[in-house]
Amino acid sequence: MVVSGRRRTELLRGVLDLCLLAVMQEGPTYGYEMTKRLRARGLSMVGEGSIYPLLARLERDGLVETYRSASNGGPPRKYYRASAIGQEALATGVAEWRAGRDAVDAVLSPVDVEVKS
Amino acid sequence: MTEFVDACRQEWKRLGVPEAVANEMAADLDADLDEARAEGVSAEEVIGSGVFDPRSFAAEWATERGVVPTPAPTLVEDRPAIPAPKTRNRTLTIGAVTAAAVIAFIGFALAIRHSGSVAVTRVVGPLKPFAPPRVEKWPVPFAVHGPGTPMHGIGVVLFLAGVAVLIAAALYWSRRARTTH
Repeated sequence: MVVSGRRRTELLRGVLDLCLLAVMQEGPTYGYEMTKRLRARGLSMVGEGSIYPLLARLERDGLVETYRSASNGGPPRKYYRASAIGQEALATGVAEWRAGRDAVDAVLSPVDVEVKS
Repeated sequence: MTEFVDACRQEWKRLGVPEAVANEMAADLDADLDEARAEGVSAEEVIGSGVFDPRSFAAEWATERGVVPTPAPTLVEDRPAIPAPKTRNRTLTIGAVTAAAVIAFIGFALAIRHSGSVAVTRVVGPLKPFAPPRVEKWPVPFAVHGPGTPMHGIGVVLFLAGVAVLIAAALYWSRRARTTH
């Protein structure tokens, strides 16, 4: 459905930066590995915006720190990890997300409709 | 290097991204796409919807990195080298109508100026019996005047031509207004 796809994209757009900061909590990582970590949690980037411009913005805003290091047998990669400001932003963002999610849940939970396939 | 990365490189070059930064971004992207390909993962899974529009993807990435000199140069095909047909037609029409109005005005002025007022006379002396009154032409700025002179004819032709164009334009616009509403 086009509408639900668009809604998913818009929702993701609002929290993708938090998701990236969250997967960096598992350890420094590079671009492709981040998409793998997201996918492992059910968050596919197919049909969504790219993480690369977002990573660049996080770096420019000082929310992540980067360094270059050789990957496993591959070429040197740019690794990202959350900076102190980034960790603070993640904590704030997660709290905002949970508050928003709970409020929306309070509205939507009583709705009892079945999705027609 | 994949076709996608190559397209990104071209866009970065066009945007004036420093070569060292462009090389770094291209190398990162290339390495990620290679790894994904080796694992049987699609490029869309790595790049998202940007995979279908490398230029926009590359421009957005470079902009977010803050490596695009501002203002970004405009794509040649994005820049209107010539006005759009609709705008061009409107400009031409307005120009033609203005020219027609000017021509009609000039023609009207010429026709009036040379319209044969030479017959205007006045009596400048008292009437005397048995003597014809002294008559002088008044005023006569040009040597040749009158409805039959070339200048009068040219004026009339210009006036009629200008008015004809104005009427044609008015008819065209009224018919167009009827069809659009």
